[in-house]
Amino acid sequence: MLKTTLAVFAAAAALGAQAIDRTKAPATPPIPDYKLPATFETKLPNGLTVVLLEDNRFPLVTVRLGFLAGAKFDPKETPGLSETTAALLTQGTGTRTARQIAEELASIGGALNGGAGPDSITISGSALAEHAPKLLEILADVTRNPAFPEEEVKLRIANRNQELQAQRSEPAFLAEEKLASVVFGSHPYSRIAPTPESLARIDRKALAGFHATWLVPNNGYLVLLGKLPPRAETLRLINERFGSWKQGQLPPAPKPEFPAPSKVIALVDRPGSVQADIHVGRLAVTRANPDYFPLMVANNILGGGASSRMFSNIREKQGFAYDAHSELDARREAGIAKAVTQVRNEVIEPATRAVLDELNGMIKGTVAPAELTRTKNFISGIYLLRLESQDGLAQQLITTKLMGLPNSFLEQYTARVRAVQPEQIQNVAGRYLNPENAAVVVVGDASKIAKPLEKFGKVEVTKAQ
Amino acid sequence: MKALAIPLLLAGSLLSHGAEVTIPIEKYKLDNGMRVILSRDSSVPVVAVYVIYGVGARSEQKGRTGFAHLFEHMMFQGSANVPKGAHFSEVESNGGVLNGSTHPDFTDYFQILPANKLATALWLESDRMRALNITKENLDNQKEAVKQERRLSFDNRPYATAIVDRWPLLAFRNWQSSHSLIGSYEDLEAASVEDVAKFFKTYYAPNNAVLSIVGDIQIPEAKKLVAAYFGDIAPQPQPKHPDMTEPAEFTPRTEVHKDAHARVPGVVIGYPGPVRRSTDYYALNILDALLTGGESSRFQQNLVKGKQSIIQYESNLGWPFAGPSDYKDPGMYAMFLLYKPNFSGKQIVEQAQEEIARVQKEGVDAKELERVKTFVRAFRIRELQGAMARARLLGQYELFDGSAEWLNKEMDRYMAVTPAEVQAAAKKYLVPERRAVLEIVPAPKAQAPTEGR
Repeated sequence: MLKTTLAVFAAAAALGAQAIDRTKAPATPPIPDYKLPATFETKLPNGLTVVLLEDNRFPLVTVRLGFLAGAKFDPKETPGLSETTAALLTQGTGTRTARQIAEELASIGGALNGGAGPDSITISGSALAEHAPKLLEILADVTRNPAFPEEEVKLRIANRNQELQAQRSEPAFLAEEKLASVVFGSHPYSRIAPTPESLARIDRKALAGFHATWLVPNNGYLVLLGKLPPRAETLRLINERFGSWKQGQLPPAPKPEFPAPSKVIALVDRPGSVQADIHVGRLAVTRANPDYFPLMVANNILGGGASSRMFSNIREKQGFAYDAHSELDARREAGIAKAVTQVRNEVIEPATRAVLDELNGMIKGTVAPAELTRTKNFISGIYLLRLESQDGLAQQLITTKLMGLPNSFLEQYTARVRAVQPEQIQNVAGRYLNPENAAVVVVGDASKIAKPLEKFGKVEVTKAQ
Repeated sequence: MKALAIPLLLAGSLLSHGAEVTIPIEKYKLDNGMRVILSRDSSVPVVAVYVIYGVGARSEQKGRTGFAHLFEHMMFQGSANVPKGAHFSEVESNGGVLNGSTHPDFTDYFQILPANKLATALWLESDRMRALNITKENLDNQKEAVKQERRLSFDNRPYATAIVDRWPLLAFRNWQSSHSLIGSYEDLEAASVEDVAKFFKTYYAPNNAVLSIVGDIQIPEAKKLVAAYFGDIAPQPQPKHPDMTEPAEFTPRTEVHKDAHARVPGVVIGYPGPVRRSTDYYALNILDALLTGGESSRFQQNLVKGKQSIIQYESNLGWPFAGPSDYKDPGMYAMFLLYKPNFSGKQIVEQAQEEIARVQKEGVDAKELERVKTFVRAFRIRELQGAMARARLLGQYELFDGSAEWLNKEMDRYMAVTPAEVQAAAKKYLVPERRAVLEIVPAPKAQAPTEGR
């Protein structure tokens, strides 16, 4: 499993206790090459894609069952239908109550949870390795035969309404909501959460309908890994549980149409805020786009990790913020690139300027070779760390499938990071990180920060809901 | 034990140990008193390097609240041979991640790197243990960063101020435990370069630290590197721990906190907990899993579902700033519940207490206890997958128990807990007569916390 091909410690072995020069960083070999463990992939006759991977390090099995059935498929008037469907899968089936499901899973040292994102629904779980057959049995039951019991539906909706209230007290949530609406326009990606009104429209019938339409084998990807039974036995178990599952006819996905990026300064007024949350964002690309790797490297130079430009300048040098970072959120149909920080009210003007300066710096300035190498190493190393646990591995594999990427995506990941050239970075920065057509979203107390923000252009103020 | 939507500064980890999984442990001490734990695992080419110092927020002095945490920030500002900012860039440019965190009873620093970069981590950790660069400029800068962290993570968020500033005052009577871990703006401002230098010399000595290394290493080479980098760092007199004794009498107490940012009411309920590693410690951790561990737990099935009163909950021995693995007495078993506004805080406290009372009266049936133990065992195996988690637990157990070997032994203790022991722990500890309650009430009009600048 996951063996390195390099002799580890070639440098260290030669060292005696006195031979160390403390004045400079030790010379170490390059980051070791490594091979992703081999996966086995097949498709059942009903269209369910199956990916298996042997990982015997720990006596566990881990599963992901994903469907292209995320929030973007919610009916326009019912945001929240996908996530509610996902959450209720484990809350009762034709033959098991929610309590029985919970108790059976606990008895096998397991858990199963349904969750939804913008593109997909994923049922995630694991169990002690000897109970793999039971885990598959329960997984198939909750996926194929959810009952959406009236009482559980009502409870989920009542609790989700409370959660929504709690989310609305978080400035970061308010900022993300505004940013998504500006960047994604009329595409369903613009809605990041349900509303009390849309939740009120969700009932058993709507849930069963969504489930019947989208959770079908020809729309699904099953990833199973860990200390598995022998291959033939594993396949037999999967066939037994999922083989008789009927295909469905899939409706078309919403058109990936997004507004042309333009400059907007949006202030969400949150009276009493002792700080301002600044989120500057713009429409970006999917992982399948050739610009993805250069942009991902650019994003890390800008604000990935503690030696990035935003962290070094905005936090460490200027002391404006505790957190200053950037993100690239690549979804199946589009992405969003954003720079994020939270600053005290008094420095809103210089801090906003500092964020915009860093974005401009990516376009106008050059990337030093050391900075580029450091960033590439950082990305490659993090990638390695993600493979440590079964959950990490499973997440990588299911994401590849749900994002519609070829299997080679993971294998070539590090090589493609390493191939990024400085001029490509400047190029993608000019196209995706340009503050001239980005949305500047600020959440804070308008009575304290609206005036200074006007220095950057016309400010649209809305009240926090 | 369920994660809440509100991230806290330091989330507690859960129950400890390994069952079928045995972690190799090689342990020794350098001449300067530094304890070293090595654990080889060649399955993934990464290495976790973890340094834990026996000093935390409970070691602080009056007028210097938040100092342990401020000091943790200073540890990233450079040392004799590592320029400011280089700690971050050296680790990241070698493909690793790093961080540090401050807790009531310890402060820790870690990096995870590709396995052939072990020397990089040891160079960085040893240089700052030997000769931290303490300047006024760095201190002023980090005071600002910490104040900003306080605004971001506490002052501007729901529940957080109540939990970090109010709850300790309610839970403890001894100042060492009852003061704010993040500190006041006034105290942060008052910290001087001399304070930092003294704190460094007193507490950041090799004899007050444990180094644990887990991953794809060769033991003999790792030993050579550790000796070369850390061997000649001078030891200091063993620091004294402040008296943390709590009064024997615990009077029940309730406080209501108005929270300007919260929209959903919450309540914290806590009870003084048992001695670490005692029979009651294991029984209470099992009881916690029975009450709040996972979907099949009593709170989930009876309160979130049955009574439909609670929305979310988290709890553990040591909550909010510690978990079972780093729980140190005196401490609390505490829970934090968010609930629907059509219930009162008093009703929620009564409902939680009723669940506990059922265990006190009826005990626990063998089948349910078996299920809970399986849950606990599987949870631990999952946790042990990461090299960092193993390094952290090994370091903590060596520091707290003088025995990293607990990692391979404690699951037997958990599996041996009897129904009678669970019932006895519930009766002895989780009683209304020894209960503290902090109600957190949404109050949109309440004054947001202001700064003492």
